[in-house]
Amino acid sequence: MSRRSWLVVIAAFLSALVLSAALALHATEPAGPAAQGSAPGDTLSPDHPPSLEIFAQALALVEDQYAEPKTSKDLIYGAIQGAVGTLDAHSSFMTPEDLRELQIETKGKFSGIGIEIAMKDLVLMVVSPIEGTPAYQMGIQPGDQIVKINGQPTKNMSLADAVKSIRGPQGSKVTLTINREGFAHPRDYVITREIIPIHSVKARILDGGIGYVRVTNFQDQTDADLHAYLDKMKQRLVPFRGLILDLRNDPGGLLDQAVRVADEFLKSGLIVYTEGRNRQQTGRFYATTGKDKYANIPMVVLINEGSASASEIVAGALKDQKRALIVGTKSFGKGSVQTIIPMEDDSALRLTTSLYYTPSGITINEKGIVPDVVVEEKPLPADESLQGLRDEVLERHMLKQGLTDKPWSQPVTPAELDKDPQLKKAVELLQNWPAKNVALKP
Amino acid sequence: MKNPGFSEKPATGGHWRRRALPLLLLLVLAFRPGLEAYSATSPYDSLRLYSEALFEIGQKYVYAKPEKEIIYGSIRGMMNSLDPDSAFLTPAEYQNYSRGRDEALAEAGVDIIIKDNLLTLTAVVDGGPGAAAGLQPGDHIAKINGETVRNLTTQEAASRFRGAPGTSLKLEVLRNSAVKPLKITVVLQPLGDNTVTSKLLNDSYGYLRVRYFNDATPKEFALALESLQKQGHPLRGLILDLRNDARGSLEQAVRTASLLLGDKEVVTAKGRTPGSQETFQGKARDLVWKAPVPMPTVVLVDQGTARAAEIVAGALKDKYQAALLGAKTLGLCGLTKVIPLQDGSALVMTMAECYTPAGKKIHGAGLEPEIQGQTPKPKENQKEAAPGKLPPEQDPWVEQAVEVLKGGNKPQAPPKA
Repeated sequence: MSRRSWLVVIAAFLSALVLSAALALHATEPAGPAAQGSAPGDTLSPDHPPSLEIFAQALALVEDQYAEPKTSKDLIYGAIQGAVGTLDAHSSFMTPEDLRELQIETKGKFSGIGIEIAMKDLVLMVVSPIEGTPAYQMGIQPGDQIVKINGQPTKNMSLADAVKSIRGPQGSKVTLTINREGFAHPRDYVITREIIPIHSVKARILDGGIGYVRVTNFQDQTDADLHAYLDKMKQRLVPFRGLILDLRNDPGGLLDQAVRVADEFLKSGLIVYTEGRNRQQTGRFYATTGKDKYANIPMVVLINEGSASASEIVAGALKDQKRALIVGTKSFGKGSVQTIIPMEDDSALRLTTSLYYTPSGITINEKGIVPDVVVEEKPLPADESLQGLRDEVLERHMLKQGLTDKPWSQPVTPAELDKDPQLKKAVELLQNWPAKNVALKP
Repeated sequence: MKNPGFSEKPATGGHWRRRALPLLLLLVLAFRPGLEAYSATSPYDSLRLYSEALFEIGQKYVYAKPEKEIIYGSIRGMMNSLDPDSAFLTPAEYQNYSRGRDEALAEAGVDIIIKDNLLTLTAVVDGGPGAAAGLQPGDHIAKINGETVRNLTTQEAASRFRGAPGTSLKLEVLRNSAVKPLKITVVLQPLGDNTVTSKLLNDSYGYLRVRYFNDATPKEFALALESLQKQGHPLRGLILDLRNDARGSLEQAVRTASLLLGDKEVVTAKGRTPGSQETFQGKARDLVWKAPVPMPTVVLVDQGTARAAEIVAGALKDKYQAALLGAKTLGLCGLTKVIPLQDGSALVMTMAECYTPAGKKIHGAGLEPEIQGQTPKPKENQKEAAPGKLPPEQDPWVEQAVEVLKGGNKPQAPPKA
């Protein structure tokens, strides 16, 4: 189905451009499912009944007198949303639906048919089928129009609703009515749903033994996928002389995955530590000594204002330990860790429970990681509209013209490099390694 | 911004549920570990969910947070989930509110709603400070004076757009057609009167625009009608422009509509409780045009048409044979009441919702015009044409309205077979 990872990339990319920071990045860092069933009572009951009474009074008034009947569940959802709204911008209340969506994002897989979809000119359309998935095997093609899903016309259907009806349990079937150039009539495709992996790591190689790895977000499979690419590159590139880790527009993800990714490149030492009001939320994370295969390879990390949270943990650790050169623009500055606390009705609180600090004791919060070498992104045309931009990104993706749309083993061309001044700079630095202004550890 | 509202006496306690609930809430808190006995449909499940959330926040949130703030936030969130006119007032805000709003206070001249946490301009008053600074209906405000807009009720957010004359507001504006946020500074000024403008168009068609409703509107409206009548002699039709017009009280709407309707019904307000239904009408002597047949009339509406303007549009459609032309209206037309809570804070709550004389619900639904406004083709050197910005002769929807008037009173409904 609509591949979440890609949507996230687009979302993060556009948000970074368009929205102010706080609106933009839903960078999540669930530090693992933490539903401690602790005993209640201490914080709330005896000392503060007055304010709770106010709430109960308000609730009763709304239930009795509001112009339309409301279920108490709706009202309580609104109330919890409001309660969480008094906290920081990264805390939120998640309905059961929101939580399921987040789990898909963090688990790196879901059950569907394996297509990315988008709305274009009010028509639901296949952006691309994901290789090896049921949709791909059934011959669904980029640009196909989805006229109906299970007989239901997609006209006036929201993208979210379309996604919902295409996804479903593993082994079940969905019927897509497809219109394609060259079809006399729309045709029905009956497709069996399967578990579709979402890849958060993409790669290319460059001339001169340089590998390029892009991490789009940090989910359960990220470090494993990254490691697999590194191993493939080590075989292919002899010698493997340098690595570019692209964390641009990566809004973050799981904390433990950030630690693992940083650990790939570090022999030892502190990666990150967290501090919260609650002792359970305080911890120190070190590099393990076992995983050292890539601890010495010359390395550049690309960041921009769309790199947040887990991305900043990785960039911060590699910077503080002087392990890699950081290139690009200042990162977003989200130095807080959120814990997902499941509630009894399958909704959840996403609560900021701690702040994290880079090894040198710097909080990233609101400051961001400052690159060693500042290189601006290619400026956007000023009069470009948001819709135009969105269409352009979509178009490039459909035509498989994006940097990571091509097979990983296909070397990056000079023309591609010219489109991306930050990447170009990274390549130059690696070609003239060691760079003067970094004192690499022996 | 003034909402339609009747003033009722503050609610006093006495209903059993109001007393019983705090106790229940506390019981729920105390009993939490062994609660499996409750059925899934019980309303107490929801209360338990709430107490669970408060508990987790109290235990685990990275910073200590006064409980009162969280509770106030909860009430605000609950009121926000109802409709854009329902709100929560802290004790300080309530005091300001009951002192009465200073009518001479300056403002930005915008009407807003908060929906899905996004502050959106529903209307930008023609000629007001916001319009002068370049704000447009549909703009989203991301930051006010550097502060991110977050967790505000519509009422609270609206108060940010009022202040002493000359105050500067620095806004960060997200606009759909723009890639980057726009920085726009608005200097607060009183809007003043002259809420009605009018113009005699070619062929004796009268154009009348209400840029917003206030207490002076009915009188200004009457004068404008009379003057059009004198100039146009005889007037062949009327175009009433209520686009981008989102403020005004029920009373102002009734008095304005009765200039054309006399003592005919204008609007009905209906709440949930029996006996809350009330129908409003003007007086026969309010009538400005005493002709036995209604003047052929087209009312221009769009997604910025709300409150008083929606009442007038609905009444003229149902009782004056007027045709609505344009786009679906906002659907924001409720009557609110302020109810103080025991600690000096207060709820602003929608108690009743507006229905047109024919019984169509306005609030939450909006009015669908029978004639869709044609999308204006973008002309050279002129990217956007906000309603009211163009002289009426050049406004595509006004042109369309003139065509409708020329072609007869209004399009016939398709025959049902």
